[in-house]
Amino acid sequence: MQPESAVAPARVAFSDEHTLAALRAGDERAFRDLFARSYPMMKRVARTYVASDAVAEEIVQETWMAIVTGLDRFEGRSALGTWIFSILTNQAKTHSARERRAVPFSCVAPGDGEEPAVDPDRFQTDDDAWPGHWATPPRPWQKPDRRLLSLETRDRLKAALAQLPERQRVIVGLRDVEGHSAEEVCGLLGLSQENQRVLLHRGRSRLRAVLEEYLDVADV
Amino acid sequence: MHDSGSPQNGHSADLPVDEITCQQFVELVTEYFEGALQARTLSQVEEHLVLCDWCVTYLEQMQATIGALGELREEPSPEPPDSVLAALRERSVGGA
Repeated sequence: MQPESAVAPARVAFSDEHTLAALRAGDERAFRDLFARSYPMMKRVARTYVASDAVAEEIVQETWMAIVTGLDRFEGRSALGTWIFSILTNQAKTHSARERRAVPFSCVAPGDGEEPAVDPDRFQTDDDAWPGHWATPPRPWQKPDRRLLSLETRDRLKAALAQLPERQRVIVGLRDVEGHSAEEVCGLLGLSQENQRVLLHRGRSRLRAVLEEYLDVADV
Repeated sequence: MHDSGSPQNGHSADLPVDEITCQQFVELVTEYFEGALQARTLSQVEEHLVLCDWCVTYLEQMQATIGALGELREEPSPEPPDSVLAALRERSVGGA
């Protein structure tokens, strides 16, 4: 039996028809609920396009204005979440001066090249006794406790996350920080499950390596 | 630690098909968590984890990384801006 995904918390689901009807009727409570639940994800995505939190917040606010005023035009051919996401990314791109943001998310981008999860130097070569097995094995970290959740570790992890290539950054953010499901993320970003997995794998692998480097030194 | 399946001539291509190496395992971890492994590969992974404490450690590190990422989740959302609420109220006033 494979383990449940090791991810935590509540996921935002755009449950369409009911939400859409409530919004169209001007139901403020439904709107506030949707707004609050979606905000972290939307800000995270917007933030990947622009240089500052403040601009990301602006983009999210503009997106909501466009959503509320555009509700009548939404024909329901795509999922509500997908529609919202596309408005969001369009708003973000109009703010972003960077040309490469014009590439559709589902296309291959720089930084997505092949990279192993772990430095091949860590493994034995064909000349060694056990090719492919650990040469420098991982050492256990201190039990997940204060150290892993310490402020400094958090900052390191946050910085490393911010430095991931764009698509890895967004996907790790949506999956592991915000807790969205694979299905939701694939739907939002227009990716196949496999593509999403590959990017998730690369992002997580890099971050594990960053934490290992930091924690191994800190352990001494 | 390992007493089975060592390649006779040191070439990874000749590994018995039932075994995966640590280097292969670290590439399969995400699929493992996602429940996306084919039955055969899954049993190879599980077998490897029985045999290899180091890869168990790696797995735990990956889990800890994912858990730590969950801790980065941001603070509660702000209030919706007044302008957006006003636009929303227009809708209920206008009727449908």
